[in-house]
Amino acid sequence: MSAIHSHAVPAYSLAITMGDPAGIGPEIICRSLAGLTASERAAILLVGDRDTFARAAQVTDVDLSFCAVERDAEVAGCVAVAQIEMPSGDIPPGEISAAAGEAAFRCIERAVELVQDGRAGVIVTAPLNKAALHAAERYYDGHTGMLASLTGAPSSFMLLASEQLSTIHVSTHVSLRDAIDRVTVERVTATVAAGYDHLRRLGIEAPRIAVAGLNPHCGEGGIFGDEDDRVIAPAVMQLQKRGWEVQGPISADTVFYRASRGEFDLVVAQYHDQGHIPVKLIAFDTTVNVSLGLPIQRTSVDHGTAFDIAWQGRADATNMRAAIDHAWRLVRNHG
Amino acid sequence: MSSPVLALTTGEPAGIGPELLVKLVADTVSLPARLVAVGDPDLLAERARMVGVDIDVRTLDKGRVPESFSPGVLPVWPVTLRAPSRPGCLTVDNAAYVIETLDVAVSTCLHGPADGMVTAPLHKGIIIDAGLSGFTGHTEYLRDACGVEGVVMMLATQDPLHARQVAWQGTRSLRVALATTHLPLRDVADAITGESLENVVHILHTDLQRHFGIESPHILVCGLNPHAGEDGHLGREELEVIIPALDHLRDQGLHVTGPLPADTLFTPRHLARADAVLAMYHDQGLAVLKYAGFGRGANITLGLPIIRTSVDHGTALDLAGTGRAETGSLSEAVSMACLMAGHAFQTHD
Repeated sequence: MSAIHSHAVPAYSLAITMGDPAGIGPEIICRSLAGLTASERAAILLVGDRDTFARAAQVTDVDLSFCAVERDAEVAGCVAVAQIEMPSGDIPPGEISAAAGEAAFRCIERAVELVQDGRAGVIVTAPLNKAALHAAERYYDGHTGMLASLTGAPSSFMLLASEQLSTIHVSTHVSLRDAIDRVTVERVTATVAAGYDHLRRLGIEAPRIAVAGLNPHCGEGGIFGDEDDRVIAPAVMQLQKRGWEVQGPISADTVFYRASRGEFDLVVAQYHDQGHIPVKLIAFDTTVNVSLGLPIQRTSVDHGTAFDIAWQGRADATNMRAAIDHAWRLVRNHG
Repeated sequence: MSSPVLALTTGEPAGIGPELLVKLVADTVSLPARLVAVGDPDLLAERARMVGVDIDVRTLDKGRVPESFSPGVLPVWPVTLRAPSRPGCLTVDNAAYVIETLDVAVSTCLHGPADGMVTAPLHKGIIIDAGLSGFTGHTEYLRDACGVEGVVMMLATQDPLHARQVAWQGTRSLRVALATTHLPLRDVADAITGESLENVVHILHTDLQRHFGIESPHILVCGLNPHAGEDGHLGREELEVIIPALDHLRDQGLHVTGPLPADTLFTPRHLARADAVLAMYHDQGLAVLKYAGFGRGANITLGLPIIRTSVDHGTALDLAGTGRAETGSLSEAVSMACLMAGHAFQTHD
């Protein structure tokens, strides 16, 4: 099943969600937009609250104006905002509040609708705060679960992308014990396939994919666990039969190094920390989080709401710019 | 002026160990230690010829030490091969040779005249095939040979990671110790108990003081689960085992921080204030170190009454005899042992 179902070119290439309005989301969005050309900005639809964006532009000292697409008269050069209905209640900057959590939820809900209606291409998300989300009685474990639920997707995969290293995870937010149980032939194969599709979408003709081992030294012939031989090796063989350039299992203590030297386009990590540690180690401020396996495409920053510095004009937009860049790559290579 | 004496085992004779030893000595101009190989002098001379290294192999009596380090000269405490050894060809006959080199090195460290030992890689499989069915590696063998109960495996680089990148400036050399080592990932969670964790941290703390001269070491501890369990939502081991153990250690005056999510711990902001990191399992710690410091890491065994470092790679049978194997890790292991022995040497001299 192809994850993409839009045939017509959407009006906006990217839909960027505001995130939690008490956090740094609006500020890093404004900073990122300021670095784009006018024609690039014209291809972007912000999803959130126009007034919040306008205040963030002031705080970050960037010269941008915003207009709500379905309400305001279009003004040349203003940034289009799909205005959400802001919940009542205070949104104190830098604090957890139900109103902010609800606003963040409504942005995502709206962005999904926009993509499903063919009005926007790829979603880029600013950070939300899980506690605020729960305070608003939206019980999701974050963006990924919310997107899966809103789109009815049975499962999704998390890919961390950076210039030096990209890694996709067989499982993410489960305990280490549960993660080991999720290493099955089906799940490993599906993870590789999701990564393969994504790389093709980025324009890589024949992606080179390495699959990390689960146990130390890939179990060293079964002395330290048999999953590498029993599960991962057969999954890799199946994928090789498709003619794909897939290798593995390769011991986790060498595979990331080899990938960072350019030997592979993607490493399949067997669990959260296995993939997150090396990526963040080498590219901790430019790592982009990409959700795969959903019927929509989404990239995201890989940091939180940073309440401690929110609305002070100090937030660094490096990661947001990287998330937007990655989304552009998906748009460009897919027409 | 005398310097510490380091015993260097050849490791598996069919592997790259012997040629790494001769290459290292041939390439080193000066060293704050006196190196003595432990192995077969003929093997070392033959491998030197094979890989085109000009070196003078000199057999020494076991009690004797060289006066100083001399470039191009390799003193040897002799251990005789049991069977001829060809590069790349394992034979069970020489398993006893490999074990004897370890016994000699341990004995010279425990009873003199050596101040520390550095091991080249051995081949576990061939030693098991030779009849030592319980053999699981150097570390456990040395633990038993020295008669101690618990040892801790630590990997270390002497340079900060990514030192050339701005974000990493000000970070220190990285030392990563492991709470568990060579066992299936599935068994890791059960292997980590409050008691085992406290023992590991105590060994780490003591040896950072003893061998690295750090008065009050600051140890960062990784969580077992993603996000260090996120208050029990992603696994309960942090709440039930790790946090109580760390609280107890802090009550005893140790400077430990954690459990921290492993993927945020291994970033400059956190590492800049750490003397060592304790990872919960092999790949959590080693993937980082090997990834960032490939070929530059030394493996250290803590908790032994002796100093022991080792290379962090295997026997590379396919490279043996070609001279293509690089001495980076051995050189790192030797210089780490120099550093550690230098500390001990200065204190008791």
